[in-house]
Amino acid sequence: MWEKMSYEEILECAVDPYPSIREWKKRTGKRVLGTTFADVPEEVIWAFDILPTTIMGTTKPLKKAQALLPDNACSLARSNLELVLSYETDLFDGFVLPQVCDTTQHLSDIWRLNVKGKYFESYLAPRQTDRESAKYWVRKEIERLIDSLSAFTGKRIDESDLKRSVDLHNENKRLLKEIYDFKRNNPSSLSNRVFFSLVKLSQQVAKDELNETIRRVKESLKDGTKDGYIDVILAGITCEPMEIYDLFDEIKLNVVADNLLIGSRYLAGEVDPGEDLLDRLAARHFKRGFFSPIHGNVFGEFEELRRLYRENGAKAIIYIHIEFCESQEYDLPDLKKMMKREGIPMHVVETEYQTTSLSHLRTRLQAFFESIKGT
Amino acid sequence: MSEKPKKELTKSQILSKKITDEYLDEAFRAKEEGRIVCYTTAISPVEILVAHDIIPIYPENHSVANLAAKKGAQMCSYVEGMGYSSHLCAYARCDLAYRATGFTVTRGIPEPDMFLACNAQCFTLTKWFQVLSRRGGGLPLFVFDTPQYIRDGKAREEIIKYCVLQLKELIALIETVTKRKFDYDRLREVIKYSREASLLYRKFLDMAAHIPSPISIFDALIGMAITVYRRGTPQCVEYYRTLCEETQEKVDKGIGVLPKEKEKFRLYWENLPIWFKFSDHAKLLGSYGGVILTSLYVHAWSFEFDLDKDPLYTLSENYVSRFSNVTLEDRVDMALDLFKRYSLNGMLMFMNRSCKAVSFAVPTLKEILTKKTGIPALVFESDMGDQRFYSEAQIRTRIEAYFETLERLGLARKAA
Repeated sequence: MWEKMSYEEILECAVDPYPSIREWKKRTGKRVLGTTFADVPEEVIWAFDILPTTIMGTTKPLKKAQALLPDNACSLARSNLELVLSYETDLFDGFVLPQVCDTTQHLSDIWRLNVKGKYFESYLAPRQTDRESAKYWVRKEIERLIDSLSAFTGKRIDESDLKRSVDLHNENKRLLKEIYDFKRNNPSSLSNRVFFSLVKLSQQVAKDELNETIRRVKESLKDGTKDGYIDVILAGITCEPMEIYDLFDEIKLNVVADNLLIGSRYLAGEVDPGEDLLDRLAARHFKRGFFSPIHGNVFGEFEELRRLYRENGAKAIIYIHIEFCESQEYDLPDLKKMMKREGIPMHVVETEYQTTSLSHLRTRLQAFFESIKGT
Repeated sequence: MSEKPKKELTKSQILSKKITDEYLDEAFRAKEEGRIVCYTTAISPVEILVAHDIIPIYPENHSVANLAAKKGAQMCSYVEGMGYSSHLCAYARCDLAYRATGFTVTRGIPEPDMFLACNAQCFTLTKWFQVLSRRGGGLPLFVFDTPQYIRDGKAREEIIKYCVLQLKELIALIETVTKRKFDYDRLREVIKYSREASLLYRKFLDMAAHIPSPISIFDALIGMAITVYRRGTPQCVEYYRTLCEETQEKVDKGIGVLPKEKEKFRLYWENLPIWFKFSDHAKLLGSYGGVILTSLYVHAWSFEFDLDKDPLYTLSENYVSRFSNVTLEDRVDMALDLFKRYSLNGMLMFMNRSCKAVSFAVPTLKEILTKKTGIPALVFESDMGDQRFYSEAQIRTRIEAYFETLERLGLARKAA
């Protein structure tokens, strides 16, 4: 199913992967657990023969979430809750919900109380990452997740189960990185939309099948050109709706690097080889850069983006701001100032998961890049 | 025209003013005395700072003073001009405006040398302190990370171990910053004062269980200030002893916020207060026979430190289990306990645009509390400090209608 997808199917599935996940579930008889961004170790869930699916909102209308959350709750939080309450209620066997900010912490309670009869576990990611205690805590939380999943499934996993899972997930990330490397220099051969759809799907569907498609995409790539393309860096957490990538493709923006959760921060999550897999999974938590804006700092993010901008010879940074994401809202004024001081053009795009019209965004992006070309 | 006679201050009010003045004098002298000023969150293991002779400063309290003086809209608008969203915490917006303009209705607060953010309260403070830390060129910011105190005994043990480890790291940091060794005996002494003051504070809050209640939540909010910024000191203990004595005297004489026969609605308040409507709300509710008696917010400083336990353990156990960091089920239980003990017959549930950490739960909390108590709730949205999000006419009409509903349902207290 996911192993032989055409470009068209990839795009379609990335917008709404749930019908195919339902089909997979029926075919395999296996369970599906929903998670949200960003730190849940998917390898652990897969090792239990369960599909971990990162829930990334819906563009369908909000019906129930508005009554359960404040109006100014993060757009992704509202959209995720709606998806589960109204549209995919029966699909998930349970949820592992990470807590990375105020919103995700309190959302997990609301979610649990409003979705009955499912397995629930909180993944209490550390909200500080620069001290030894954080390393201790990540390991403890991974161990607790394993115990919890054991109790849920009645199954114990051993080192070999975990290793198989880690290898599969590592392979997925390696393949995606290879495609990213190619795309960077051959944007005419692979659109932003297809590439980021593959990264998104990698966090939602079974990788043993999807890796086949990614491999086939990789093998089919033919040298293209960079002529007429403007290289840009994409920053933020996610970039939704996916049609935004179509706009980039339309005005020939080539995303050459990013720090998105559905981008490089996911790809940087390869687990290093070595002894004691749990330790390595815990270590991975700290090598993915600014994985959550909560424990990130703007100096760090600025330096990382500046490095990406310079190393890739990009022309600008596009920052995707999810409406009402408080963490981003605290960071953005200083980040903008730092970019301005450095002379790096940065364009902030505000998105909302229920956005249907992107015409205003097209106009703004076109105007911004016209001015870049003019400089 | 004759001048309105000044109301004579009570002993506790005099004491509160004295303690506050001395505290701020000390804080402003800190730099010249070579002492460290640490900005911290209202809920944070401040006992460690106090024990190490570091001055804790609470930017939230400073913002409250400006918001209560109705400067919120003005200060928040200014910050929006700097690029900050109007959806952010009004405390933070107000503070950032103070940094940029120097405007304040108080004498201000001294500049920080370091930060301690405890996320049992919220993560907003961490983000706000990150902004201030950057502004100071990268001043040290210690995040005391308190994972949600989930309902799982084994997980709770691990959470506390993690918190204890972090407190050791905090101690190591302040030893480095001050170049002085930390004194655990002094910490035990400070926790002893904190415990004593907390128990007295709780006793004071619980006097609202009397009928008629000698205090309203507005008294509790005023009374709360000293334990927020002076816990761990003998002055704090003395203040609450005095406050309890005064309040007990009212109980003994049967003096209530409202006379017994007029106290019809004993109300629960969910969330932080609307600071700029503090006294207006008290008057408005009083005119209908309503008095707000309590909230989980004011009880957030009712600590129960156990002196027989390791000091870092009891600090961790207490700070991680605040109402803002427990599960919604635990929060329901905490609220129900107040309903029972205080004989509450109404609830005002405030959706505070400024405080997502507390407000996220409000719709679900309201559903559960209404179901479990049989008492309808009034839910309304506004902002704790930014008047632009407050609609006087709408809230007044809704309060009026709410009391009518309670009357109609036969929930109003009958006159004795």
